[in-house]
Parts: sequence; structure tokens; C-alpha cells
Amino acid sequence: MATAVLTLKQVKNPAILSGLSALLIALFLISLSIGQVVIPVGDILKIVLNKTGLFSFQVNEVFEAVLWSIRLPRLVMTVLIGAALAVSGAALQGLFRNPLVEPGLIGVSSGSALGMVVLIVFGSSFIEANSVLGHFIVPVIAFGGGLLATYLVMKISEQVGKTNIAVLILGGVAVNALAAALIGYAIFYADENQLRTFTFWTLGDLGGASWEKLWVAAPILIFATVWLLLFPNELNAIAVGEAEAFHMGVDVEKVKKLIIVLCALAVGVSVSLSGVIGFIGLVVPHLIRITFHADNRLILPASLLGGPILLIVADLIARTVVAPSELPIGVVTGLIGAPVFITLLLRAKSKQELMIR
Amino acid sequence: MIAASNISLTKNGRAILNSVNVDVQPGSFTAMAGPNGAGKSSFLKIISNETQGYRGSVLLNGKAINNYTAIALAKVRAVLPQNTHLQFPFSVQQVVEMGRQYSGRSKNINGTLLEEVMDLTGTHNLRERNYLTLSGGEQQRVQLARVLAQVWEEQDFPRYILLDEPTSSLDIARQQLIFGLVKKACARNIGVLAIVHDLNQVSQFADQLYLLKDGHIAAKGSPREIFTKPIIEETFCCKVNVYNDPCTNCPYIVPENEFNISSSITVNS
Repeated sequence: MATAVLTLKQVKNPAILSGLSALLIALFLISLSIGQVVIPVGDILKIVLNKTGLFSFQVNEVFEAVLWSIRLPRLVMTVLIGAALAVSGAALQGLFRNPLVEPGLIGVSSGSALGMVVLIVFGSSFIEANSVLGHFIVPVIAFGGGLLATYLVMKISEQVGKTNIAVLILGGVAVNALAAALIGYAIFYADENQLRTFTFWTLGDLGGASWEKLWVAAPILIFATVWLLLFPNELNAIAVGEAEAFHMGVDVEKVKKLIIVLCALAVGVSVSLSGVIGFIGLVVPHLIRITFHADNRLILPASLLGGPILLIVADLIARTVVAPSELPIGVVTGLIGAPVFITLLLRAKSKQELMIR
Repeated sequence: MIAASNISLTKNGRAILNSVNVDVQPGSFTAMAGPNGAGKSSFLKIISNETQGYRGSVLLNGKAINNYTAIALAKVRAVLPQNTHLQFPFSVQQVVEMGRQYSGRSKNINGTLLEEVMDLTGTHNLRERNYLTLSGGEQQRVQLARVLAQVWEEQDFPRYILLDEPTSSLDIARQQLIFGLVKKACARNIGVLAIVHDLNQVSQFADQLYLLKDGHIAAKGSPREIFTKPIIEETFCCKVNVYNDPCTNCPYIVPENEFNISSSITVNS
């Protein structure tokens, strides 16, 4: 075992990323194929090729309907959200020099969820009346709520022009508690039907995917996630220390603000699509760090691939084990993620490779 | 040169530094010593442009330090803080490489420089190790390698290294190695400013010494000029004897320790 781990640590980054890409593509196709109706992978390719307008294969119409209007948007959404959450988690862990940080900690998730809950309870008629505007307003409110909560946390933690990380984490706890209280207050005014959707906000749900939602949300998610990938050197330097990073040429305050806003954008929009999905942002960067190494030149792109891999597997389980019903996705990410994570932590601890001292 | 003039700093109503003037010449080793809490680290943070809100001016190669971008500044000066705490299991190689990440140089040039600084600091054999599993002294040498890597490349302008107690967790052999390295850096047109507590090391290696006390410069000059019984006793409030080491021909300082003298007398009688 020890030698296996040792060799994993010596694998070069391009090889790791190619392996993860291949795994992601395979899982993507398998997940498209499996469900209530099993669609052979060959048919999936035919249907997708037909949609380009260049081909006209004979395909089963049921397969086409299921694939095109249900599974494909769901899978695309799963990939985007998995990537956004994992990359945000990796960036925030690096930025705060703390492996326990996840997007929820700086208030993004609960702020977004609060925005969504308020919108649903008090503005549901508005969304129903304006379906086009509704698709647009949902991510905007989620992002706004997330950014507002994050801005509050950042303001609390500002100290002579610099961000005090300890205060920031405590401020995040406070703002999260406030948001949770306000969500509870909003629930007080909710009707039966609205109440049922609250599971969605606390445990996440990938079932609501549609192309209409994605047209608005996907470009934002891609924009924020890809931009976050551009900070590996800055995050490496910050890992040595904020002052040290500045000495090495990093404009630390600028990088800090930019990363926090980008994470608010990525996580806020994710929440608007699927509710709060915990664990991905925390565990994916960790898994990569423990399995391979801590260099952010690997962690960031590998999280981009690892987040979707983990979320696709979790979603596949969530929608197959109790079919035709579905488990909330957060239940599955927690149930698989936590034991795997604990096992890895124990192994890393015994080899003295833990990140906190 | 680094020219810090009339630097004053007040924190929470308390004066930390009071009209401090310090010059660091390229190609020479300037040491700074003084009692704990004299303001040495605060001063180092000001001239590395980490602290704002002070009075006075800092010129780096003739240009105000505030007019440098972070990257431009990183090419001219490198800083070794007193303590560095890494939170993630980076390898030694990865940590040292970070010193070159904004150099804009090719992989080959950076690779050669990294080899050189790792050889100089004796960290070559640690390169694959997890930084978090190193001893305190090893970590200090790795950080020093990172700092050297940042400004080691020959340039047509002078560079500077600012060190805050670079030898605090090193054994005497390694301490000698580090000061030998400082001299090598000076030979490459790098100016070094180091906060050092061990006055005998200062005496052996420093070209120029500033004694800082209660936020002002108490004395300035070559170690030979400054290391006199009255100046040292006045600055550190500690009885000392100053001797001349016949081997190095440098003054060396031995604190008088009344406790030891009296206890040895008691034992003998």
C-alpha cells in the first residue's frame, strides 16, 4: 500500500489530469445511459450527432426525449456545479490557508439560499408570471444573496485594509447563523407546497435541470470557474504566508477580493440551480491533496475534473437506489463522502502528512 | 541602495519607531541588533513595503518603494520573515521554486538557479521531502533557499535581501554557513540587511551595524567602532566584557553573569 501511494505521488500532473478526464468522460456516458430507461451508449452518440444537424441516424424517439430533455441537461448541470463547487473550495482553502474551509463558511451558500427562499415564499407569483424573466432573476437573486452575505463577512473581517482570516471565519459563522434564522423566519410564512421545496435548499437537488435554466446559468458558472483556475501561482505563494506571498510579488489584497467575488458568483449560481450541495467543495481538493500533492497547479485543474466525477457518481446513486423516487443529493454526498474522507484522513495522519500542525 | 529616512511609526498611540535613518548599501552586509521590542521587525516590515501608515520615506534604488508594483518589488528585494507556517504538505522543491515564479525566466535558467541555491543552503538532499515533516532548522534553510532564489540571478541593478533572525533555529555550523552565504550574496551585488541577536556573529561578518533601542538608532558604524563596553551596556542594559578574538581579530562580547559567578563561588567554598 505504501509503495502504491508513493508511486501515486510521483505521477506527473499531465498524466493525473488525463486520467481524471478519461474517468469523467466515461462516467458522463455511463450516467447518461443508466436510469429508468436504459439508453445504449451507441444511441446516445447517435442522438447527439443528430442534434448537430450533420447526421440523421435512426433513433428511438423515447430515448431521444429522455436523453435530450431530461438526462443531458441534468448531467451538464451536474458537471458544471461539481466543477464550480470543487474549484471554489480549492481556491478558498488555498486563499484562507486553511484546509477546513468550504464555500459555505464565508456565507456564500447560506446567503444564496436565503435569497432563493425569500424569492420563493414572497415572490413565487412573480416567477410563475414571468417565465423568461424568472429564469434570469433566480440566479441573479442567488448570486446577490451570496455576494451580500460574503461582503458582510469581508467587511466584518477587514482590519486596516487587510482581511483578518480568523475574524473572517468567525464572521462567517455569525452570518450563516443569521441567514439560517432568516430562512426559518421565511419558512414560517410558507405554504404546504413551498415547504416541500425546502429540502431542496438544504440538501440539494439536481432534478430541476432544464436547458432554459442552463442558458442563463452555464455561461456565468463557466466564466467564474475558469477565471478561478488562473490563480495557482498566487495560491501557492499564499500557502507560504500572506506576507511571504507579497514579498514574492503577489498583490495579495487584490487576489483575495477577486477570488472571493468569483467564488460567490460560482457558488451563488450553483445554489440557484440545485440548492446547497455540501461536501464537494470541502472534500474534492482534500482528496487530491492527500492522494497526489498540494501544488495548486494540480489542485485547481484536478478539482475541475474531480468535482464533477464525485457529483456524477453521487447523483447516479441518488436517482437509482430508491427508483422511481430520488434521494436528496446531499444525503448521498455525505454518506459516501464522509467515510471515504475519514479513511483518507486516518491514513494521512498516520503518515504525518496532514496539513494542520 | 535602500535609503530609509526619518521613519516614524505609531501603533495604537504608542511610538514604535522614531525618526529612524538606515542605509543599506548594495554588496555589503548591514546588521541590525537591539533589545527585544526595540522595533527591529517593525522597521523591516516598513522597508519591505508590508506596513503602511508610517511617516518618512523609503527609497529603493532611488525610487520610492510605494511606486513599485508587487512584482517589480519582488525582483529587487526578497524577505525572510521570522516565522513561516506552511499549512499544506508542499515538497521542498515546490517551496523553493515559488521564489522564481514571477521571474519571467525560462525553465532552464530557473532550474540552474534553483540547483545553485539549494546547493548553497544544503537543501538539495531534502528536495523530495514533505516540508511539514522537516525539522525547524531544515525549514529555515528551505525558506532561505526560496528567498535567495528570488534575487540570486545576476542583474544590472542591485538587489536586496532582508532577513529577520535568519539563524534563530540553526546550530553553529549552519549559522556559519548562512553568514558565509550572506557574504556570497554580497559578492553578487546584493545588499543584505539582517536582524541578528548574536552580537559575536555580527562582529565577525557585518560590514555595518545599527543598534536600535526604544524605536531610535542608538549607535551606527562598523562592529569594531560600536562594540565597546559603554555602548553595548547602555543599549542592552546588561553588564558585558568586550575582548578581542586573536584568531579572527574581531571583538567579542561576553555578558557578565552575576548568578553564575556567585553560584560557582558557593560551590567551591
